[in-house]
Amino acid sequence: MTMQLRKTIARLSASACLIALAAGMPALADTPKDTLVEAFAIDDIISLDPAEAFELSTAEITSNSYSLLVRLDPEDTSKVVPDLAESWTVSDDGMTYTFKLKPGVKFASGNPLTAEDVAFSIERVVKLDKSPGFLFTQLGLSGENVAEKARAVDPETFEMTVDKPYAPSFVLNVLSATPGAVVDKELVLSKAKAVTPSAEYAYDTDFGNEFLKTGYAGSGPFVTRVWKANEAVVLERNDNYTGEKPKLARVIYRHMKESSAQRLALESGDIDVARNLDPNDLNAIENNPNLTLDSAPKGTIYYISFNQKNPNLAKPEVDEAMKYLIDYDAIGSTLLKGVGVIHQTFLPTGQLGAIEDTPYKLDVAKAKELLAKAGLPDGFSVTMDVRSTQPVSGVAESIQQTAAQAGVKIEIIPGDGKQTLTKYRARNHDIYIGQWGSDYWDPNSNAQTFAYNADNSDDSPLKTSAWRNAWDLPELSKQTDAALLESDTEKRAAIYEDIQRKVLADSPFAFIWQQVEVAGVSNKVEGYKLGPTFDSNYLTNVSKN
Amino acid sequence: MTDISQFQSRRDWLLSNQPASRLQARLGRAYMIWLSFSANRLALVGLAVILGLLLVALFAPWLAPRSPFVGDLANARLLPPGTDGYLLGTDSQGRDILSRLIHGSRLTLMVVVLVAIIAAPLGLLVGAVAGYAGGWIDAVLMRITDIFLAFPKLVLAMAFVAALGPGIENAVLAIAITSWPPYARMARAEAMGVRNSDYIAAVRLMGASPARIVIRHIMPMCLSSLIVRVTLDMAGIILTAAGLGFLGLGAQPPLPEWGAMIASGRLYILDQWWVATMPGIAIVIVSLGFNLLGDGLRDALDPREAGK
Repeated sequence: MTMQLRKTIARLSASACLIALAAGMPALADTPKDTLVEAFAIDDIISLDPAEAFELSTAEITSNSYSLLVRLDPEDTSKVVPDLAESWTVSDDGMTYTFKLKPGVKFASGNPLTAEDVAFSIERVVKLDKSPGFLFTQLGLSGENVAEKARAVDPETFEMTVDKPYAPSFVLNVLSATPGAVVDKELVLSKAKAVTPSAEYAYDTDFGNEFLKTGYAGSGPFVTRVWKANEAVVLERNDNYTGEKPKLARVIYRHMKESSAQRLALESGDIDVARNLDPNDLNAIENNPNLTLDSAPKGTIYYISFNQKNPNLAKPEVDEAMKYLIDYDAIGSTLLKGVGVIHQTFLPTGQLGAIEDTPYKLDVAKAKELLAKAGLPDGFSVTMDVRSTQPVSGVAESIQQTAAQAGVKIEIIPGDGKQTLTKYRARNHDIYIGQWGSDYWDPNSNAQTFAYNADNSDDSPLKTSAWRNAWDLPELSKQTDAALLESDTEKRAAIYEDIQRKVLADSPFAFIWQQVEVAGVSNKVEGYKLGPTFDSNYLTNVSKN
Repeated sequence: MTDISQFQSRRDWLLSNQPASRLQARLGRAYMIWLSFSANRLALVGLAVILGLLLVALFAPWLAPRSPFVGDLANARLLPPGTDGYLLGTDSQGRDILSRLIHGSRLTLMVVVLVAIIAAPLGLLVGAVAGYAGGWIDAVLMRITDIFLAFPKLVLAMAFVAALGPGIENAVLAIAITSWPPYARMARAEAMGVRNSDYIAAVRLMGASPARIVIRHIMPMCLSSLIVRVTLDMAGIILTAAGLGFLGLGAQPPLPEWGAMIASGRLYILDQWWVATMPGIAIVIVSLGFNLLGDGLRDALDPREAGK
């Protein structure tokens, strides 16, 4: 008892020291050899509970500290590979998935990991119904039926039943998202708090949500030791991990927001990795012999869209003309250098069925011809809502310049993310420039928003991006529905290819670029590699010399 | 010989202490102001800067070597000053900074003039009425003024722009709304000083209406100190407009407003210092010009303050 207490105190004081190191002392010259210090804007974290956390930085933290049934294959992200699950089968009706778990897996706490824990983890996500709750509710799971639809058949077999014969690739991709992380049922329940059931929340326990907000109950390669909002997150090696153990003893994410601050800290050796660099700081890092850059395309797509409620933009020729008034080449080689690649289809590279067609380029003569065909030979005036962040506002200004060459006068209305998004969601914009990050790594996430609009009325329950631009597309919506139920993965990919080509040819969306995540890395670090998604930036193989 | 004598006689005519006409008296007074103004070297520098700004703004399209709006993104981005054809370098959209500064002078001048035209007469009217009328009118008008003075100027301007929506017209309006109270205070003080003078009593005896008294006989007395104050404030107006532009609340892209140019250059300050520095220098020079001019005007217009 006293031994344990002493241990806890020692641990707590050690982590307190770490935070002091991480947050308070910029003058710290060299980082310890067994510790990786990353500068990362972690102000988006609201909770570390896998059932609640759905942010970019938490995706990385959860995937390094928890285990999942399946994970995306980092080599080919259109497939999944086993993590906790050894193998799985799908029933003949396509509705029941049976997972066989690897034997002998333990949580960091020492408790054995069984199918009970898997079932409990999914039950929490569904019943808590925080922002990632839709991942499982869209499969037909609900608070009432989750206990029977996601259940442990025996300690090593987990079974989940969905409500429609969805494409297996879709269901597995959903399970690979971080909210599917498996938590330690015994530990979490011992920390759960009693709540009084109400109309919004029907259960008498918080399923350990409050504990997991800052706590940890996983079985991943790292243990989340501490999170202090806007200061630091500290991960430590999990000695109970059954797989290949991490080379580093500790990883510290230090909160730093400004790109220039990160760059200066990296140059002086205060940090080992800088995660939020702007394009203009990349050059200096590239030219520094002690530093290297690592980059990987991510699933976020940037696009401009044309509200079909605007009578000018409702003409298909005008939308096409606008697509020829964007200087893709110049934007890609300057404003997006290092942080984005030109990408003109709605599925990001790496997702099942993604195609790389780039038929559009700057062609003012062709745009003028199309505008004349639409009855607007002298162009027209239109507004564009732009979020005042780079590189979005720079790209918007570039489009403003090139569009003016064909007589299209764009008035830029700047705002913060909330203002522009609110206007966009209410369909009150003319042109909107923004981004879309896939909610989960499956083509359905993007297809559902860009090629699906079941109800174009103002009070439609499903407000997809197509709806936000008042784009009525009954045929494509049906095709998107069909793709979701196509069990043959190759045929499914072919449907998405077809949808992308149709959207590319005729839609109120001009997709411009795909985000590239970039990190400045010190030469002391070995094996640092950004993954293809935000939840595959793995740290296990990283070491320092 | 004749030239000099003519010159001397014109000077004598202007400085005559027995002016034969109203015109001669007025011109004589103006000449004396000019003499004391031009004795101040720094004031002349300020005047030269402001005249230079006026000329640049007037002939902007002919002076600017390139378009301020259309850049060459692919080939001319972030070129350093002195690069062939780009004297002050280019910005992140490949636009010539010199051309943008030249066209931006129009915006700066427009902001300054519009604010002066809106705020100064408003302040003057409120102050003169309050000072002359006294009583509850004075109390009400001055409490309203107090409310405006209770907020920091830039914060209040930001609140107005946020409510009206960003844009250069709204920025002008917001700055004007926030800058009239000091003028009202000053005009009130002047008006209270003269309201009980004999000449006011004489005009009142002749049957002049209060409106006539305020407009024709009180306001002119406040004018000289007002001019000084407005000129001195112009630097502040430019800085407020630039501040709003910097925060994204003033002029909108692609308008070459100097403050907005600094804001967009801020991203590149470590490696491409000129993008933010050039408009900064322009703001410093013009603000300094207005300050020097205002100082000189104060010395010339207000003999009581001179030499202090």
